[in-house]
Amino acid sequence: MAIRPILLYPHQGLKSKTAAVVFSDPAVQTVVQDLLDTLAASPGVALAAPQIGHPVQVIVVDVSRKKGETGHGLTVLLNPIILAVEGRKILREGCLSVPDYTGNVLRHQQAIVEGLAPDGRVITMSTSGFEALAFQHEVDHLNGTLFLDRIQSLSTDLFRRKP
Amino acid sequence: MDHFAIVTAFGQDRPGIVALMADSLYQLGCNIEDTCMTRLRGEFTMMLMVRLPNGTDADTLANRLTTAMTPHGLAVLCRSMPDGAAARQAALEIPTFMLSVYGADHPGIVAQVARTVAHHGGNITDMNTRVIGSGDAPVYVMVLEIQLQAAQQADQLRQALEELKPLLDVDLTFRPLESVTF
Repeated sequence: MAIRPILLYPHQGLKSKTAAVVFSDPAVQTVVQDLLDTLAASPGVALAAPQIGHPVQVIVVDVSRKKGETGHGLTVLLNPIILAVEGRKILREGCLSVPDYTGNVLRHQQAIVEGLAPDGRVITMSTSGFEALAFQHEVDHLNGTLFLDRIQSLSTDLFRRKP
Repeated sequence: MDHFAIVTAFGQDRPGIVALMADSLYQLGCNIEDTCMTRLRGEFTMMLMVRLPNGTDADTLANRLTTAMTPHGLAVLCRSMPDGAAARQAALEIPTFMLSVYGADHPGIVAQVARTVAHHGGNITDMNTRVIGSGDAPVYVMVLEIQLQAAQQADQLRQALEELKPLLDVDLTFRPLESVTF
């Protein structure tokens, strides 16, 4: 139960695959609490466990921390996966773990996300807009993927011709 | 203290130009930092910020690079960079906007749009333009990234740009840049 420092790339924990968790494992509750405490103290709206040094599949998302956004409110998910996406969208995206840089990334406007609540219940959520983008970004962290791995072009995509 | 230079170079596009430039800079002890390179039709253009090795100034680098690049058909320019300008800065929370302007091509579009942006205190931080469409009906497209010191300036600039539309016979949209950090 603590505010953890948010790891910055090139920390290799950000590029590693993470392990699925068992909700009844007491260590998982510690990870969840660390994520909640660290998110509350951070300027962001979401965090993934590897960002605070835990190589496991746990994320927290709370887009209501951003003015004008509500979404599903504070959500903790264990072993989350993106079941389906729809509506391609190019987004200028940045990450707390890669400060001072943003890039144009292909995301989706809608995402169906499934995972476990901390008490073991299966949760399936239909997310859209800013919240859908946040879930896609956080699930990427669990696979060692950063937005840098998804950059479409360094500036504008407008002039990019289809092959 | 580190010293930096800006290098610009261009030449007919072909494979190997970046490798030639990077290898030449490496051999001269320079460290390549921020760069922007692109192809303008058949010409490849490069802008590089490089950290100079101790004892080498921008003029020396210009001479050595020119010797290395000219035989390969590349024009090179090099100028020292003020130390203050070379410092890396944290991303600032400055209101940033995207402006797209497009319409039938005619002289003066860039000049009038840029003048309007400047008049309202807008700072163009990135810009791309392209002539598209058919040969007998060329269309001009420009995309600008603009920073304003205060979000309140945006309404006035938007108004001024709207007034420009019929004068230049172009379409345009001015919108906040959607940028999110997770």
